[in-house]
Amino acid sequence: MTEKETPITLIVNGRTHRVFVSPSALLLNVLRDQLNVMGPKYGCGIGECGACSVLIDGELSLSCLTLAVSVMGHVITTVEAVVEDPVGKIVADKFLSHAAVQCGFCTPGMLVAATSLLQSERSPSEEDIRQHLRGNLCRCTGYAALVRSVQDAAESLDGEPDHEMRAGN
Amino acid sequence: MPEVGRNLPRKDGVAKISGKEPYSHDIHLPNMLYAAVYRSPLAHVRIRYVDTSGAQALGAICLTPQEVPDVIYNERIVSIPTKTYKDRRVLPTVARHVGEAIVGVAAETEELAIRALSSLRIDFEPLPSVLNAEEALKPESPKLYDRIWLGEKPIEMTGNIACERHITEGDPEAGFREADFVVERRYTTPRKYHGQMETKAAVCQPLPNGGINVWATVQSVHNVRQVLGQIYGIPLSKVNVKKLSIGGSFGSSIQMNSIIPICVGLALKSGRPVKLISPREDDMYDHSHYQTEMVLKVGVKQDGTFTAAKMNVIADIGAHHIQADALLGVMAGWLASLYKWKNFQFDGQAVYTNKVPGCALQGFGNPLVNFAVEQHMDIIAEMLGRDPVDLRLQNYIGEGDVFWGQGPSIKSIIESCGVEEILREGSTRIGWNQRREPHEKSGRYRRGIGVARGFHTSGTAGPKPGDVIDFSSATIKVNEDGTVDILTPVIDHGGGTGEAIVKIVADTLHVPYTMVELSDVDARTTGYDVATHATRGVYCGGGAAAHVAEEVRTQILAMAGRILDEEPSGLALDLTAERGTHVYVQSDPNRFVSLKDIAKTAQIKSWGTMAATGSYRQSSAPPCFMGHFVEVEVDTETGEVRVVRAILLSDAGTVVNPDLLAGQLIGAFARGIGFALQEHTQTLPSGTLNHGGWLTDYRMGTSCDVPPPDAMDVYFAHTYESTGPFGAKGVAEAALSSVWSAVANAIYNAVGVRVYDLPITPEVLLEALSAPQLIEA
Repeated sequence: MTEKETPITLIVNGRTHRVFVSPSALLLNVLRDQLNVMGPKYGCGIGECGACSVLIDGELSLSCLTLAVSVMGHVITTVEAVVEDPVGKIVADKFLSHAAVQCGFCTPGMLVAATSLLQSERSPSEEDIRQHLRGNLCRCTGYAALVRSVQDAAESLDGEPDHEMRAGN
Repeated sequence: MPEVGRNLPRKDGVAKISGKEPYSHDIHLPNMLYAAVYRSPLAHVRIRYVDTSGAQALGAICLTPQEVPDVIYNERIVSIPTKTYKDRRVLPTVARHVGEAIVGVAAETEELAIRALSSLRIDFEPLPSVLNAEEALKPESPKLYDRIWLGEKPIEMTGNIACERHITEGDPEAGFREADFVVERRYTTPRKYHGQMETKAAVCQPLPNGGINVWATVQSVHNVRQVLGQIYGIPLSKVNVKKLSIGGSFGSSIQMNSIIPICVGLALKSGRPVKLISPREDDMYDHSHYQTEMVLKVGVKQDGTFTAAKMNVIADIGAHHIQADALLGVMAGWLASLYKWKNFQFDGQAVYTNKVPGCALQGFGNPLVNFAVEQHMDIIAEMLGRDPVDLRLQNYIGEGDVFWGQGPSIKSIIESCGVEEILREGSTRIGWNQRREPHEKSGRYRRGIGVARGFHTSGTAGPKPGDVIDFSSATIKVNEDGTVDILTPVIDHGGGTGEAIVKIVADTLHVPYTMVELSDVDARTTGYDVATHATRGVYCGGGAAAHVAEEVRTQILAMAGRILDEEPSGLALDLTAERGTHVYVQSDPNRFVSLKDIAKTAQIKSWGTMAATGSYRQSSAPPCFMGHFVEVEVDTETGEVRVVRAILLSDAGTVVNPDLLAGQLIGAFARGIGFALQEHTQTLPSGTLNHGGWLTDYRMGTSCDVPPPDAMDVYFAHTYESTGPFGAKGVAEAALSSVWSAVANAIYNAVGVRVYDLPITPEVLLEALSAPQLIEA
C-alpha cells in the first residue's frame, strides 16, 4: 500500500512548487520525477557518490538522503540555477575550458560542490579543493582537470567583490 | 589552422555541465510506468513457479520467465554469428547467480513497483552451486548448463568449460630447450566492478504499429536494436534505439544490458511506456570484469633475446558467456604482440561459475596480460643484470612487425610506432638513471620507480574480415547556410569521440568547428556501427566520417563548378579568415564562391542538397602504444602504497583532442591505481557479493586518493598513422594497459617484494613484506 501523500511546498531555483509527496519521498526523486529537474543525478542512493548534490539554504547537501518533507519551505538550489550564478558560471566556464567534462554524469553535482566551496572560500588551496570534492565521485577524469578548473576559477574570482548566490534568494 | 589538434570546448559540454544533457535516466514519457526487478537471492536455483497475484493486486504488471519469448541469445553481437556463444534468455527458468533477474514488475510509481516485488511468491528449487573456477573444473562439480549454443549449433555440456582456445606459433618446446633461463610465474587478477557513474537504465515506448522506441544505456544503438528485434520478433524497421550520452561505461555496455529486454517485455505487455533504472546494488550484480589466473613461462638467452613464451589462462567468466571466446583470443594476441618471443603458445579456458557474469572492462584482457608480462620483464631484467628499459627496447614489437592484439583473425603490420620515444622520454622525465635498487633503501617510507609499457588496438578491422565485425557509417550534409550536420551512430563514452569526428569532418570540408554539429540520431537514421569498443571510435568511426566527408567535398566542388563555370578538377576548397569556407579557381584564385553561397544557390536553383551517406571499414587495426613511469611510496609499517608521481606517455598518432586525450590518460591512470591497490569484487560462499552491492564497500578513488594534478605528467609521442583520419589512431583502452604492472614494478623497486596477485592492498603487501624474501627467478 502506498503511504498517504501530503501536500508540501518546495522552493526550487527560485520557484515555489506545490507537490504531493509521501513522507518517505526523497528530495532527489521529487525533483526528478515530479518537478522535471533532471540536473541532480541518481548514482548510488546512499550518499556515496555526490551525483545528486544540491544546495539547501546554500549548504551543500545530498538530495538522495534528504526527505522532501524535511526541506519544506527551505531554499533548494540545483545545478540548473547554480550554473546561472555568477560564481557558478565562472566554474562552469572553467570546467569547459579545462576539459574537465567527460561522460558528464557526475558533472552537475561536481559543479554544485565546487561552486559551494568558492562561495565560502575564495582562495582555497589545492588540498582544500581536493578535500571538498572528495564526496563527489568521478570515474572518468581522475579529478585533475576538475581540481585545476576550480583553482583557475578561484584565481578569476580573486579581487572581485563577493558574489551572493542569486538563484533562490 | 586545422581544427584537428586544437583544444576546443566540447559540443555537449554546456549541456552536460548544466544538467541539461539527457541520459537514459532522464527520459520521461507521458503515462509512463516505473519498473523494478526481482533478483535471485541464491547462487543457483530452478524457478518452479512465480505467483504474481499479490503484486497484481497492487496494480503491478509482472513479467515472469514463463512469459518471455523462449529465445536463447547472446547479448553481445560484435563477433560474427558462428563465433557467438549463446546461453541466456530474457528471464531464466534457472537462475545461475545471486542477483540474476527473475521477474520484472512495472507500476505507477517506482515505490509501488518495489512494494510489488515483495508481494511476489516464488517457488524455488535450490541447486548446488560452484563459486570458483578451480572447483568448477572438477568433474564432480555442479554443472551450470546442460546445453549452450555456438551460433545455431547446440553444444552438449559435459562440465563447466564455456570455451577453450589453444594457439601456437613456431615450436615453443624447442624454444624453451634453446633458452639459457626459463622463468615461470603465476599471476592472478580479481573480479572488479566498472563503476560507471550512470547505473544501467532503459525506457521503452511501445508504438501503435507494434514497434518500440528504446532509450537506454548502450555502446551501440544498432546491436541493441538487432538483439531486441531477434528476441521479440519485431522487424528492425519497427525497432528504434535512440543515441544518448552515456554516463560512463568502461566496457560494461558493449553487450545489450540485461535490463533492456526486461523493460521492453514490460512495455509490450502493459502497452505503456516503461522506465527501468537499475539501483546501484542491482548494477553491481549485473556485470563484473573477468577474474583470471595466468601462468606465464618465458625462455630467454643470456643476451636478452627470447626463445619462447607460453601462457596458460583460466578465466572465471561467471554465469553467462558474454564474450569469453573473444577474451581468450585477445589475451593471446596481447601476449603475442608485446615482445618478439619467436615461439609462442597460448592455452586458455573460460569457466562458468555461479557468479555475476564477466564482461569487458577497459582493455578487455590487455591490462591482465600486461600485469603478467611486464612484471616478467622486470624479473628477467634483474636476473640478467639488465636495465628494464633496455630489455624492453631490445625486444619490443614495433614498426614493420605483425600486431594481432585483437586475436589471431585480425592481423596488421605496424606502420607507426612510438615505443622508443615513449621509453626514452619517460626515462628522462622520471629520472630513470637515478633510480636505486631496493636493497639501497631503508626506513619506514620507501620510494620506488617502476616502468611498464603497453598498447591497445585501434579497432578490429583489417584487410580481410575476421571473427569480429568492424565497420562504421556516417551521413554528412551541408545546410543551406554553409553549416554542416553529421549523423553518426558512434557513441561517445565521454572521451571526446564526438568532438574528434566533428574536427575530422571540419578539416576535410575546410569548415570551422563552430559550424559543424552532431545531430540527434538513432538506429533508424544512421547506418550501422558495431559499437564504441576496442578503442575504435576515432580511428574507425572518425575514419568512416572522413571517408563520407570526402564524398561531400566532391559534391561541393561539382556545385561550385556549375556556379563558376569551371571543371571541378580545376577547383580547390579552402578556409580563410576573409572568405570563410570557399571554393576558388586554382588558376585564378581571385575567382571564388563561398560555401554558404554554393549551398544557397544549390537550393534556390533546385540542384539538390550536398550530402552523402556511406559505410567504411578500416584497412588495419594499428596499435596505439603506451608507457607508464610511476613513483610510489610504500609505508612498510602499514603496507599502504601512495603514488607520488607518474609520467603517462601515449602514442595516439595525430592527437585530435589534446586536452581530452590528457584527460583520458589521467582518468585511466586514476582508475588503474584503484584496480591495482584496492578494488576487488569478492563473492562470499553464499554467492552474494562481499560488499552487498553497496558502493560504500566497493571503494573507488576519490579526489583525495589520486595523485594531485601536478604529479601526473602527460606526453604524446610524435607519430603519424597514415591509415587513420589525419594520422590518428585510438588511445582510450591503451591508457589503462600498463598501469597495474607499472605500480607493481614500482612497489618492487621500493621494497624488494613482488606481488603477483591484485589488488595489492595494505594487508597483502604487509604479508608479503613479512614473508621470507625469495630471490627473484
